[in-house]
Amino acid sequence: MFCMKEKNSATTASTLGRILATCSKQAKDYGSCVASKVHEIEKDLCLKEFLALKSCMQHTTSVGSGALSHAYIQNPSLRCNVPESRGLFYDDANRLLICVTSSQVFSWETATFNPDVSPSVDSIPEGPILSIRFSLDKKAIAVQRSDCEIQFFHRETKQTLTHKCRAGSESILGFFWSDSPLCDLAVVKTSGMDLFACDSAMNLRLVETKKVNVNWYIYTHESRLVLLASGLQCKTITGFQLSTAGVVRLPKFEMTLATTESNSKPIISPGDVHLITVYGRIYCLQVDMEAMLLHTYRFYRDAVVQQGSLPIYSSKLSVSVVDNLLLVHQIDAKVVIIYDLFVDSRAPVSAPLPLLWRGYQGSDTSSQQENEGTESSTSNENIVMYEEAWTFLVPDLILDQTNKVLWRAISASSSDRSSLLEFLQRRKLEANKAKQLCLGIARTLILERRPATQVTQAIDVLVTAYSYSVKAGIYKELKNEKTTATTPTNDGASPDNERGRASGSSIDEEEVEMNLPSGSADEQQESQLSSPAISPDELYKFVFASVEEAMVEESDYLVAIITEFLRSISAEKLKVDLNIYVMTVRLLAHSKRFAELSLFTTNKIIEPSKEVALQLLESGGQNLRVRKLGLDMLRQLSLHHEYISSLVQDGYYLEALRYAQKRKVTSVRSSLFLEAAFASNDMQHLAAILRVLSELIPGFKETSEYYTFHGLLNETSSSVAV
Amino acid sequence: MASMSSGDESLRLCVFDLRRGQTEGQELDKILFFHPPELDVSTQLSVTGLSEGLITFTRLFSPEAACEVIEAERHSHVFFEAETDIWMVMVVEKNKDTGAIWRIDALRGMLKEVHSLFVMFHGSVRALLEKEPTGGLTRAQLYPFITDYLSTFQKRSRSEDWCCDLFVGKKLQLPNFRETTLSERGTVQMLTLARDTALEVQSLVQVLDSCAGNLQCLSMILFQDLLVSTTLSPDDTVNLFTFAVMRLTSQALLSSDASSWSHLRKGTGSSETSSRSTSGSIDSLHHVIRPLQNDKWKKGKDGFLVTDIWGLETGGSPDPAIPIVWLQETQERVYLLAYQYKSLTLLLLLPETDIVNGGLSAVKQQVIEQASLRIMKIEEKISRGWGGENAYHVKGYRYLVVDTDLEVSRASPSGKVATLAKESLLALNKLREEVDLEKSRAKRQERDLEICIRAKNNAWVIARVSRDKELYMALEKASDTLLDATDAVGRFSNRYCSGAFLMD
Repeated sequence: MFCMKEKNSATTASTLGRILATCSKQAKDYGSCVASKVHEIEKDLCLKEFLALKSCMQHTTSVGSGALSHAYIQNPSLRCNVPESRGLFYDDANRLLICVTSSQVFSWETATFNPDVSPSVDSIPEGPILSIRFSLDKKAIAVQRSDCEIQFFHRETKQTLTHKCRAGSESILGFFWSDSPLCDLAVVKTSGMDLFACDSAMNLRLVETKKVNVNWYIYTHESRLVLLASGLQCKTITGFQLSTAGVVRLPKFEMTLATTESNSKPIISPGDVHLITVYGRIYCLQVDMEAMLLHTYRFYRDAVVQQGSLPIYSSKLSVSVVDNLLLVHQIDAKVVIIYDLFVDSRAPVSAPLPLLWRGYQGSDTSSQQENEGTESSTSNENIVMYEEAWTFLVPDLILDQTNKVLWRAISASSSDRSSLLEFLQRRKLEANKAKQLCLGIARTLILERRPATQVTQAIDVLVTAYSYSVKAGIYKELKNEKTTATTPTNDGASPDNERGRASGSSIDEEEVEMNLPSGSADEQQESQLSSPAISPDELYKFVFASVEEAMVEESDYLVAIITEFLRSISAEKLKVDLNIYVMTVRLLAHSKRFAELSLFTTNKIIEPSKEVALQLLESGGQNLRVRKLGLDMLRQLSLHHEYISSLVQDGYYLEALRYAQKRKVTSVRSSLFLEAAFASNDMQHLAAILRVLSELIPGFKETSEYYTFHGLLNETSSSVAV
Repeated sequence: MASMSSGDESLRLCVFDLRRGQTEGQELDKILFFHPPELDVSTQLSVTGLSEGLITFTRLFSPEAACEVIEAERHSHVFFEAETDIWMVMVVEKNKDTGAIWRIDALRGMLKEVHSLFVMFHGSVRALLEKEPTGGLTRAQLYPFITDYLSTFQKRSRSEDWCCDLFVGKKLQLPNFRETTLSERGTVQMLTLARDTALEVQSLVQVLDSCAGNLQCLSMILFQDLLVSTTLSPDDTVNLFTFAVMRLTSQALLSSDASSWSHLRKGTGSSETSSRSTSGSIDSLHHVIRPLQNDKWKKGKDGFLVTDIWGLETGGSPDPAIPIVWLQETQERVYLLAYQYKSLTLLLLLPETDIVNGGLSAVKQQVIEQASLRIMKIEEKISRGWGGENAYHVKGYRYLVVDTDLEVSRASPSGKVATLAKESLLALNKLREEVDLEKSRAKRQERDLEICIRAKNNAWVIARVSRDKELYMALEKASDTLLDATDAVGRFSNRYCSGAFLMD
């Protein structure tokens, strides 16, 4: 089995650093070239720069101790050691790796990727096998025997059924199972596509025929989309989506093909077209070898829109999708370029680097590509399928490494941090790692004193992502996951939801319903976190609170960022740990920005709380106005005890007593008032206080306090009547 | 001149320096400003001489704080020591007919205010005198400044005679008691913001700060005549706020537009010639700037307010020079940039020393690029939530709340105050006078009082002073008992002052 992965080891940074140091010029040239020509993509775009960078990198890596890559192949792989194997097939609907012998079918579950898993074995009658697919309930196996015959075997009843088409006039190109309500099986023939319903006894009933001349077709279960190619150059494409919502016919569209003198009528082969799904959007990638471009088309409900093109640097090309990232294998060049199609820019996420075996150095990429080929007979198409496999079976290690390297690579090439965070927030794999990275990035951004706008952007990204994930029910609702998993309706609905949000726009009517097969089962396998989303509390705790000490001398800057953070969470109607307000007070007071501190408090930017009030009182040691704000806040929060104590402390013992009298607060030690009045040497006040206290506190006249102060009073001035 | 009539004697205002003119025959040298200017020298000298005598005399008993006010039979003399040995004295006539008396604290507040504003634009009087010991420059600056300041009230009171040309020396008017009774000079009026708007505003403040790059940029934001945000120290905030409300806010610009229209109708020609005739001679000696001159600010195409008060940019540039003001807090000279979008006025203050050539236009450019969109949104947001000029009207109450520590006040809208009967206002005015007295007598600790008075027209006028907050109120509901009135005050305090006035 083959797995993409990104590197993680501690040496990476230095290796990458070395490469980037050595090849910095080339990397810069290539980057700026791509960036400048994003809108005018054409053949051999930036080829010169690309080749320079590639050779520099390969040179550096081969010299260096550890080879470097963004994309790795998982090792060990799943080995199909079946004697007399006649071929390997991949059933993408069930995610089965199928190995056939003359009379037996070995199938491995790839959803739970485990090299040691033992295959299940079925016996089928002997005969040629052109393709093989298990039904979606895995009760039947369908085998295409020839271009006019498909056989069905029931795995339990051993019942057999043969479906034939009219020999001579048409031939079967292939078939696939469907979970649309209309049909269970689709058979693609040169004359069109037949849709059959299939009952439990495996009786096929033709429900509909779509008449199209078909040269070849491609289908992925992930997208539920079948593309039928017709025309001399095979560039006229008719598409159908057989989703659970029904069968939808896509508008017919023509693929773009450049012509040259040597080849005026190039023909598109099925290997040139890839259907991929990223962020719940379906794209079609089409290789145009003459133009050396990879065209992308995006499917909408009622339109197919060409989205731009990526340059090709190799005569052989393949694509994979790992965790919503597009990996374009430039096979001849032996490098992988990673794109994030979510971002509008067509600039690559990473510099081209070779694809490597994990743990192996200097391994030859092409051999691995062949490796892919042997594992799955129709290599190009199936690579896309692997995406599913990778996404869900990859052990933690891999993903964790993925993110790490991607992050390092990007930051080392000083790319925009907020788009990086956005990117990380979209990672679903190894969410915990992505989360830690995001926190790390946010911290670093602040510690490096990046411009506030940049940090703000980054924080906005995190807050928005969190808000989305809360609304979509991903965050914090993990515990419900298992219960919902059993109900298929929920199962389908929640990923849909999430996807809709991931696209970030309700305008795009996603053409394809992304019913990820066994989506919830996959989530269960992931570590506890299903989302890298970071709650405001965590942001406070791990970012703001942790940088406070280091940033105390630049509290203005930190306050600016906290304000933006508060604005951001307020816009999303979220709440945050009250301690952030205490911290804000502290920072503002530290930089002596008292005017703003009062504005912050009166406008309730700093939410009132006891802790905030006490901090205001403390910071108010330097500024009377601030102390007053704290007092007012205590009063407004009806924290009578604290309010009275603070008033007395400030010497307003009369007011404090009046307040205590009014609010019937007796919890404040009476001696506080008395001592304050005595200290101020105002015997009239002392007398008044004694009188008020005797009214306020039952039995006060019997206390020793009363006697003490009463005695003092009489001593000092006998003229004052008590 | 007609101004010699008795009406003109209703107000005399002088500024003099006790350190000058010590020798006999040199007394005139003391006087830095005198209004009315056409008063003969001997009268001027007698006014200052009397004042100086009183000051010297009272200093014998109270060296720290010499005399504050002298109440004569027909006049009140209000004293204010603006700077050490620099005194401002105002003599106002008591109007026996109306029974209206000037509240001394309000008058002293004006003296304080005009001095603060003067210092903000010109630096301290003492510094000016030291710079140019003949006093010519100081006099040249003070004269138009104070006159321009006083002319503001002319406008506001919409007196028939508003079109005062200061160099002709027409009658100057003080704001009348209707306007001063429920307002407090030297405080700012704040706009109450919702939390999310406040966060947006704070975010804008930070953007504005960043527009200056590495320079420190202080800012102040006003919505109409209300303060939205400030990063300045309290005193600087008050000064700049006062100036902005006088001359810069959308309303100030609007009214100056309106007045310049009527100005035209009344015939600009005459006033222009007259101003040239008198000011020309002064200008030739000293470079006189009139920062408070009216009708001089215009909104430029880029949204920044421009004025030619400060002349043109040096170096032959056709752009008007950017005003420079002094900040009290830091004793720093800063450029004042004003940007306006609809009702929102933004003031940016940039240290003069740090601005190199072209620096200001770069900042302006940054503001337009980085902040203008936010400014637009915030203006929209505030306008949407803004209850109009009667936003802070509380039904049934005519009130003034002052927070003396925070230098903030809020009052019933002037339109509503105007509906009060004259008796109520006079009673309230009298009450305030009493409270002022009481406050100055009392120690801080004991500043806690409540006074309710029944006015001639059966209205209740109430003053409530707690530690640092003051509440004045007129309740014109004749049927109310004293209990009803105190209840009403209690409700008001709990509802609108977060219970600051503890009611017994």
